Amino acid sequence: MKTTLKLFCLTAIAAGVLLGTTSVFAAETIKVGIVDTYSGPASTYTNDVRDAFALAVGKINAAGGILGQQVEYVTRDSKFKVDLGLSAAKELVMREDVDILMGTINSALALALSDFAKQEKIPFLATFAKSAKITGEKGHRYVFSMNENTAMIGKAAATGLAKLPYTNYWIAGDDYEYGHAVAEGVWENLKQLKPGVKLLGQSWWKVGEPDFTPYITAMLAEKPDAVIIATGGRDCVPFLKAAQATGFNKRVPFYMHTATEISTLKPLGLSAPEGVIGTANYHSYYPDTAENRAFVAEFEKAYGRTPAVGALYGYITAQFISQAYAKAGEVDTEKFIDALEGLSVDSPVGRVTMRAEDHQVMLPMFMGVTTKKEGQEVLVAKDIVTISAEDVMPSLDEIRKARKK
Amino acid sequence: MELFPNLTFSVLCIQILVGLSKATILFIVASGLTLILGVLRIPNLAHGSLYMIGAFTTYSIATAFSQSSLGFWVALLVAPLVVALIGLIMEQGLFRFLYKRDHLMMLLFTFSFTLVFGDLVKMIWGSDYRSLTVPEIFQGSYALLGFPFPRYNLFLLLLGPLFAAGLWFLTNRTRLGKISRAAAVDREMVGAVGINVNLVYAAVFVLGCYLAGVGGALVAPTQNISQGMDHSIIIEIFLIVIIGGLGNVWGALLGAVIFGLTDAIGILVAPQFGIIFPYLAVISVLLFRPKGLLKSIW
Repeated sequence: MKTTLKLFCLTAIAAGVLLGTTSVFAAETIKVGIVDTYSGPASTYTNDVRDAFALAVGKINAAGGILGQQVEYVTRDSKFKVDLGLSAAKELVMREDVDILMGTINSALALALSDFAKQEKIPFLATFAKSAKITGEKGHRYVFSMNENTAMIGKAAATGLAKLPYTNYWIAGDDYEYGHAVAEGVWENLKQLKPGVKLLGQSWWKVGEPDFTPYITAMLAEKPDAVIIATGGRDCVPFLKAAQATGFNKRVPFYMHTATEISTLKPLGLSAPEGVIGTANYHSYYPDTAENRAFVAEFEKAYGRTPAVGALYGYITAQFISQAYAKAGEVDTEKFIDALEGLSVDSPVGRVTMRAEDHQVMLPMFMGVTTKKEGQEVLVAKDIVTISAEDVMPSLDEIRKARKK
Repeated sequence: MELFPNLTFSVLCIQILVGLSKATILFIVASGLTLILGVLRIPNLAHGSLYMIGAFTTYSIATAFSQSSLGFWVALLVAPLVVALIGLIMEQGLFRFLYKRDHLMMLLFTFSFTLVFGDLVKMIWGSDYRSLTVPEIFQGSYALLGFPFPRYNLFLLLLGPLFAAGLWFLTNRTRLGKISRAAAVDREMVGAVGINVNLVYAAVFVLGCYLAGVGGALVAPTQNISQGMDHSIIIEIFLIVIIGGLGNVWGALLGAVIFGLTDAIGILVAPQFGIIFPYLAVISVLLFRPKGLLKSIW
C-alpha cells in the first residue's frame, strides 16, 4: 500500500515537472534570456536594466510585437558568480531555447558568457559589464555591448579633465580589474591630451574597503592638485561618505566615474559631498528633452522610482532587439546580427548607434559636478558638459590592435 | 627622510589616530569573539554575522526615527541588545547541548549559522546595501595639525578605552568575571564547587554577542551596510584573536591595535600596497610567536 502511494506520488511529481517545462509559446515568441545579479549589492543597478527592458518590451508587445511575434523574457540570478551565471545561461539556451542572451553586471561573467555565445552562435547583448575587453580584445561576431566601458570612461574623463587647470595628479582605486582599467584609461589619455601632467603616486584599496579615512589623509599629505578615484559600484558610496566626513572634496578636487549618477548619490541623500566631478551615461533630468521626460514619467509611473543609468541600458537593448529583427525581416540569428550592426535607435539621450566594426554602442557621456538643489532630496549634477560618443569611442585602430593580441 | 618627502610628523600622528579609531571597532568585535572562545571554547564563525545583524538592526531603528541623531543613539542602545537576544536563543537553543562536542563539530555548527544568518538578513532586509548618515553632532571633521580628522572617528577613539576599561572591570573585579575565568581553566572543577556553570556560559556567550552587536552598530554610519560585511570582518577579527592569543581579551586589544596601525601606516608609506601590511604583521607575529603575543587560554 505504502509503495503504491509512493509510486503514485513520484509519477505525479514527474508529470508535473514535465508539464511545467514544456513551453507553450516555443514557436510564436522571441525569447530573451537575461542572466544577471539580482541578489547582493549589485542588484541596485541591475534591477533598473531589467525593469526598463520589461517596460519597453511591454510596449513593443502591445503594439503587436516584432514581426507579429510576442517578445518574452526570462531572468536568472547569477548572484555575481561566474559559474552560476554560466550554468544559468546554458540552461536558458538548452532548455528554455532562448533566441538572445542578455546581462550582466559582472565583467568576468560577461566575458564567460561572450565565449559561450560564440560557441553556441547565439547573440549576447552585454548590459552593464564595463570591461573594455568585451568589445575590444575579446570581441567577436556574437557579442554586443550596450553601455560604456572602461576605455570610454578613460577617454571621457581625460577629455573633461584636460580642460581643468590641474597638473599634479594622484590616482586611487579598487585593486581589481575595473579600478586599474579605469585608472590606466584616464591616465594614458590625459597624458596625450595634456603632456604636462604629473602623477605623484597611487593608492589601491581592496574591493569593499570599509574605511577610506586613512587613504584620504595619506593622499592629502601628498598635496596633489586633483585626484582620480577609480572606484566602481557600491564602493563609491562609502568613499563619498568618507570624503564628506573629512572634507576631502573641499580640499582637493577629485573625479570619480558615476559620482554624479543617481545610483551613487541616492543612498547618501543630502549628506553627499558637493563639488565632486563625475561622468555618467544618463541623468533623469538631463538632457532636458521631451523624449527623456516622457521616458522618466513612464518609468516612474510603472515602478515608483526615478530611473538610473541602468534603465537607459535596458531601454536601448529592447529597442535594438526589436528594430534589428524588424530590419532583418525574419527571426534569424545571422540576419539579426547583420541588421544590428550599424543600427541606430532613438533613446532618452538622443539617437544612439551600434558601431558595426566592434559591436560597441555609441553613447554620449555627461560630465558634471555634484551640487545640492533646492527641494531635492538627492544631489544633482550641475555644469553638465556633453562629451559626444565619437570622442569617447576607442578608435578602430585600437580595436584592431587589441584583437590581434 | 628623502625616501618619504611628505612623511611629516603631523601626518604620521593623524594616521596613527585614524588607525586607532579603526582599531576600536575591531577590538570591540574581537573581544566578544575571544571571550566566547576563551570561556566556552566555541570558535564562533557566526560572530561576523551577528555584527552584520547589529549593523542592519541599527539601520532599521535609526530609519524608524527618520535617521535623526536621536535615532542613532536609540539604535546604539537597542541594536546590540537585539543581537544579544539572538545570542541567548542560540546558546539556550543549541550550543548548551554541544559543549562536549569537539572543536571541528563546533566550527561546522557555527559555520552553518553564518549561512542561516546570511539568508535571514537577505529575507528581512533584502539584497540591497543600506547607508546610514552619521549623526548630526559627528558630521564633519576637526582640523588637527592641518589635517582633517572626522568627528565620528574621534568618538570611536574615545569609546575604545571605555570598552577596554569596562571589560577589564568585568573580568577582574566582578564575580561573574572571576567565575568565568575559572571556568575557562577548569569547567568541571567550577561545577564541582556548586556554581551553575551553564548560567555562566550563557552570560558570557550573550555578552560576546552583545559586543558583536555594538561593533555592528558603531560601524553602521561609516560604511555600506551590506551582505558580505560578515565575511570581511570575521577574517580580520580571527586574525586579531590569533595574534593576540586565543581567549585573551588584552590580546584582542593588542591585536586590534596592531591591525589598525599597520593598516594606516602602511597606506601612508606604500599606498600602492597598503592592503598587505596588516597581513604581513600577522605573518611575522605568527612566525616568532605562533601561540600569539599574549598568553593563550587554550
